[in-house]
Amino acid sequence: MADNIEAIQKSIKKYIAIGALLIFFSGLTVALSYWELPTHSLNILVGMILATIKAALVALIFMHLNHERSVIYKILVFTVVLAVVLFVLFVLAHDDPLTFSGFYSPVEQ
Amino acid sequence: MDIPYTVHARPDTGLYNAKIGIWLFLASEVMLFGGLFSAYIFLRVGADYPWPVHDLDVTLGFINTVVLIASSVTVVMAWACLKLRKFGWYRINMAITVLCAAVFMFNKTLEYKAKFAHYAVKLTDGTLLTGHLPHGYQIKFGDVTELELSVPVKNSAVTADPVGYVLPLIDGEAPKFKTEDGQEIALDSKSFASLAASALEKAKAANKGSASIKLVSATPLKFIAKPSEIFGYTATTLTFRDGTTATGKLTDDKMTLEVDGVDARGVAQSEKSLAFDHRYLGEEWQKAFVANRDHHIAKFEKDYPTRDKARSATLQKESLFFKLHSATPPAAGEAHGDKHGAEAHAPAEGGHGEAHGHHPTVVLEKKDITFFSNFTPKLNTYYAIYFTLTGLHGAHVVIGALVLAYFLCFDNKRLKQDPEHLANRVEVGGLFWHFVDLVWIFLFPLLYLL
Repeated sequence: MADNIEAIQKSIKKYIAIGALLIFFSGLTVALSYWELPTHSLNILVGMILATIKAALVALIFMHLNHERSVIYKILVFTVVLAVVLFVLFVLAHDDPLTFSGFYSPVEQ
Repeated sequence: MDIPYTVHARPDTGLYNAKIGIWLFLASEVMLFGGLFSAYIFLRVGADYPWPVHDLDVTLGFINTVVLIASSVTVVMAWACLKLRKFGWYRINMAITVLCAAVFMFNKTLEYKAKFAHYAVKLTDGTLLTGHLPHGYQIKFGDVTELELSVPVKNSAVTADPVGYVLPLIDGEAPKFKTEDGQEIALDSKSFASLAASALEKAKAANKGSASIKLVSATPLKFIAKPSEIFGYTATTLTFRDGTTATGKLTDDKMTLEVDGVDARGVAQSEKSLAFDHRYLGEEWQKAFVANRDHHIAKFEKDYPTRDKARSATLQKESLFFKLHSATPPAAGEAHGDKHGAEAHAPAEGGHGEAHGHHPTVVLEKKDITFFSNFTPKLNTYYAIYFTLTGLHGAHVVIGALVLAYFLCFDNKRLKQDPEHLANRVEVGGLFWHFVDLVWIFLFPLLYLL
């Protein structure tokens, strides 16, 4: 990573700007949560997209993931894949071996 | 021995060692919190009750969000200042970071404390009343003249221990008891031990499984106990947690609740909720509830004419979860729950229930209550995952703050002799701190807003 003095001097302003942006996004998340979309799932979707943007800003700028050595990305690839698996696990709770009908859907009568 | 590569990069990774270390640790932290977020999804998908939305204090949560973001900025600034050898600014930024952590935990304490003191009472018809128990909740039992103690011959998990489980619950002075032999004793651990020993001998001689001891009190006794302090009771018997039973009369097991909310989402006909029974909130509050409900439904129909009312969780909450802001029902015409104006009303005399502060007080009969709890994991799975996630996150805040405070206060030698090494330490501590912020970025909307 570029840790020379000049680059760091420049990045100080960037950190403050990103902090302000994060607070703005937080306010936006609060405001949007009171605005009722057609379904609540859409509200959740919008809220999570905003949260992901915020998380990405923190990870990329504050945690310097925008310019890091490759070994760190190699570690994180596994983490991301496994975490995503955790988040979709609930799909498996929809069916059990007794009710699972495969991908066959009966023709409408 | 010096630890290698604390300042300079290792040639093969291109990084100093601690940085690889902290990223490996953060990777495992992602999995730890990931598992709990996964649990959150499971619990939410499977919840058989309306998932609380905007039920926590959003203002407090938002303040905490801003505080954490600010601390994330200052910790990265502290690192940058250290790299630039601006030691004064480094100290200021680091001190603000630690201060932010303290403010965050202070707010968290306020939030937790309110949850512990706030109660939800589920009535038999599915109504949920929320409020405070000004006198706690106690079971009162009187006219007890006889205690029956049971001491098993073999070792057992339950054995008579009247000194620990019965005597503390007596209302009034320590009584004198008469044993079966006609002896008069003051019950304490010594007299009970000798009593139990002689009873056990008799039981063994008679080949019985347990010895029973009968104690008769000279004066009728009164017991006052929290439900958790006793094993159970009926109208005429009281069983203590050591198996001792008392025969007497149940005098009071009513619950005095200062009601601040009526949640009728679990009731088929909300206006007929048990909460509006003449014994409880009564007709005037029922009118206020119906007015508030119909106001919200009409507003929804106007704002979203094409949408299905039954499918809007927000409408269900706004129309059926009625918040009470005054001791007496608001007058007609200003009966909308979102207005606090009703608080200006002086408590009317002879209203339903006793006027108490800002909320009406009702005395609930035990037969109408199916369940009650404060707002803790016992209440529902939402509060279970709320306390698990925020508690674990709070622990991370505390530990992160301790690490950063250590760098600030106890690493001054390194600051003077090897600032580059301290900068690396601060970067690693900062990476952990950003991760704590990152977790909160997801926690705040998931628990407070959505």
